[in-house]
Amino acid sequence: MAERVVVTGIGIISALGTGMQAHVTALRNKQSGVKPISLLKTRYANDFVLGEIRMTSDELSAYAGLPVGDNGHTRTALLSLAAMKDLLEHVDIELLRAEPFAFINANTVGGMSKMEDIYMDVLRPDTKQENIKYIDTLDCAESTERVVNFYNLKPFTATISTACSSSSNSFILGARMIKQGIVKRAVVGGGDALSRFTLNGFYSLKNVDKNLCKPFDQNRLGLNLGEGAGFCLLELESDAKARGANIIAVLSGYANTNDAYHPTAPSPTGEGAYRTMQEALAMAGLETKDISYINAHGTATQNNDAAEGLAIQKLFGTNPPPFSSTKPFTGHTLAAAGVIEGIFSMLALQEQMIIPNMNFETRMEELAIQPATELVENAGLQHVLSNSFGFGGSNVSLIFSKP
Amino acid sequence: MEDLKRTLKQQIIDSLNLQGMKPEDIDDNAPLFGEGLGLDSIDSLELMVLLERNYGIKIEDAREGRKILSSVQTMAEYIQQNKKI
Amino acid sequence: MTMQPLYIISACSITAQDTYNRENFLNPVRSIDDGRLFVIDPDYTKYINPVAIRRMSRMLKRGITAGMRSLDEAGIKTPDGIIVGTSRGSVTDMEIFLHELIELDEQALNPAGFIQSTYNSVNGWLAMLSKCTGYNQTYVHRGFTLELCLFDAMLMLSEAKEKKHLLAGAFDELTPEYFTIRTKINYYKEQLPNSLNLYKHDDSTGSIGGEGAHFFTVSNDPANATSSLRSLAMLQKPTVAELQAGIDNILKENNLDKEDIDVLVCGMNGDSRTRSLVDTAINNCSANTTVVNFKHLGGEYDTASGFGLWLADHLCRTQLIPSEVTCKVGTSASVKNILFCNTTIMGNVSLMVVTSVN
Repeated sequence: MAERVVVTGIGIISALGTGMQAHVTALRNKQSGVKPISLLKTRYANDFVLGEIRMTSDELSAYAGLPVGDNGHTRTALLSLAAMKDLLEHVDIELLRAEPFAFINANTVGGMSKMEDIYMDVLRPDTKQENIKYIDTLDCAESTERVVNFYNLKPFTATISTACSSSSNSFILGARMIKQGIVKRAVVGGGDALSRFTLNGFYSLKNVDKNLCKPFDQNRLGLNLGEGAGFCLLELESDAKARGANIIAVLSGYANTNDAYHPTAPSPTGEGAYRTMQEALAMAGLETKDISYINAHGTATQNNDAAEGLAIQKLFGTNPPPFSSTKPFTGHTLAAAGVIEGIFSMLALQEQMIIPNMNFETRMEELAIQPATELVENAGLQHVLSNSFGFGGSNVSLIFSKP
Repeated sequence: MEDLKRTLKQQIIDSLNLQGMKPEDIDDNAPLFGEGLGLDSIDSLELMVLLERNYGIKIEDAREGRKILSSVQTMAEYIQQNKKI
Repeated sequence: MTMQPLYIISACSITAQDTYNRENFLNPVRSIDDGRLFVIDPDYTKYINPVAIRRMSRMLKRGITAGMRSLDEAGIKTPDGIIVGTSRGSVTDMEIFLHELIELDEQALNPAGFIQSTYNSVNGWLAMLSKCTGYNQTYVHRGFTLELCLFDAMLMLSEAKEKKHLLAGAFDELTPEYFTIRTKINYYKEQLPNSLNLYKHDDSTGSIGGEGAHFFTVSNDPANATSSLRSLAMLQKPTVAELQAGIDNILKENNLDKEDIDVLVCGMNGDSRTRSLVDTAINNCSANTTVVNFKHLGGEYDTASGFGLWLADHLCRTQLIPSEVTCKVGTSASVKNILFCNTTIMGNVSLMVVTSVN
């Protein structure tokens, strides 16, 4: 049997705070980060709720160790730097310099959070000098290169963008490269900052709930957006043990498939989601009964929850393991959702807790199953499945197991 | 009402880029979605934008939108009762 | 990195020359004076039905058509996976949605621009049209975008225990606005030369703009292949010494001496900042080696290396080297081993060894 890939470091920032401990506390205490808008400049500032990180870009710059002011870093890059900084509080950076490693990042709209403010000025012949610094940041690789350059690293770098499954795909590429012996370690994850572009994009699709989102609820009206970033260190189990590293979880299975059904909507029967979860289980050598908790994609849109709910029911039956969407805590963080929810799955394993699906009231009429709504401690978790699905029919499932 | 329907058909053709179609090719009562004109869910969102931009009618609930957008007839009736521009 | 070679079964490029109709792609040679080599759009209705096409922007049509045609030419209905790269996705769609957002103050926005500007939208369409429910991945990494797609394909075929076919490719779009923006960061020359004279102006910074879509059906099975991509290296802003080491390394991996290189496909872009890198690559040629280039025909963009790989495969297929791409004639009588060295405006370099099959 091929050697296992394990997670030995976590860095995270979201509307719940910075670092693992802040997240464990918030999840345990049912403290949501989704609140009325405080930072995003939008005409809907009084209408929507968002999972905003309550730090201005200057505050994020200071946290990341950069000069404040127009430093050429977009909020997307700053969130990525903040998550990397958190990771490096638990991982010796020399480890990343000593042997070949990959840095695999993901995001969906690059530095749009900044560019949407300065775009018209950027098109004028006399663009303001402070805006020139950001001129080429509408590019998904920008945040990747910012992190690598800031920490003076020389890794294999890649940036992935498969909409809402983006950073889950980072895990898959990192694990494959490690298993093939191309690199010794990989830092994988992704990040996205809130922007009017994405808020209005989802709003134009009638996919946004102005109030708190209600995943898997009959009366759900859409998603709440959020922002965040996360990175995880992957390596072979033997390497981790040899250096005496703390193994947080085993990445025991993963699958990437496509619905091949519609540009934005999932197949209504959940066929794609079903097959993805099934393939991840097969890879991990597990059966459905082995999964003790599912961290669902659960965006609270009509389409996703119907398709994902039906897929869970078809694969696990009408008595599935407890499942929940954690998006009511963080909002839908798009490219960061995969890594943030992957981290939540690992925290669930580490803390042995089932994270509740907040805001749920009424079971969906097409389903015989409903999400877990209460925190469960000492949950006896062995294997956790984490789903991420996106536009373009993109489906990813990851399975994390207790070391 | 007949004028409104004719204008509306032209607006639908333009906004959805239904190349080669003329207003008289669209039957008032033919379903716009499914087997009729064969429009899809993204078209339905674009038709809601059409209603908002041209008639000041804002539809928040996609399910309600689906009923209003069943045919040119249902759209025209709704516009007549609710238009703000 | 030595992995499973990628056997190239088919290649389809949509560029500023008529590469879509491969036979006559240089007849006539198209040139421009305004620094913007826009592509020649083929008939897009062949692979996209009328209902689907009416909402699509040109980049979507282009990416989908190049991908579907590559599968069509390879005789593959449904590939085992689809790996696509784009540095900036459908720029037109992004611009439409962003302008409406600003001008209409976030009210009554059409979703089409938002949906289609999503970087993996061409992936989704290719999956639908080819009914491919397998692996689907999108890379968005500036000048290494196509290279990452090819790398992933090599990795996937190295993991595979059975024969597999993958569709791998990349695309990027040039728009007037995007040209304006990149001009401000010295991406393009201040004094724009005629495109065919690009290399005569390599004493100034910048290049000329271009766009394109390039798709390859690749396999671990050599049956029906025209060429194979044997090795691939991505060098981040290398010094001359690092590039030389990279070239030495990739030749050694493939047991090749300088004399074995029949053709050097050189991604020179006329930018003075990358001249020393280009010179390093050319200095590795022997008298046998013919040096060819392509950015005077297709322009510079983040996934321009797709044109270079298409050309390398084309030379293997035809065993003919058109004078329009030749900058130094070598003595080798055939096209067997090709070294492809692509340099980007950012100073990154990718190296590939491509070998003809048969």
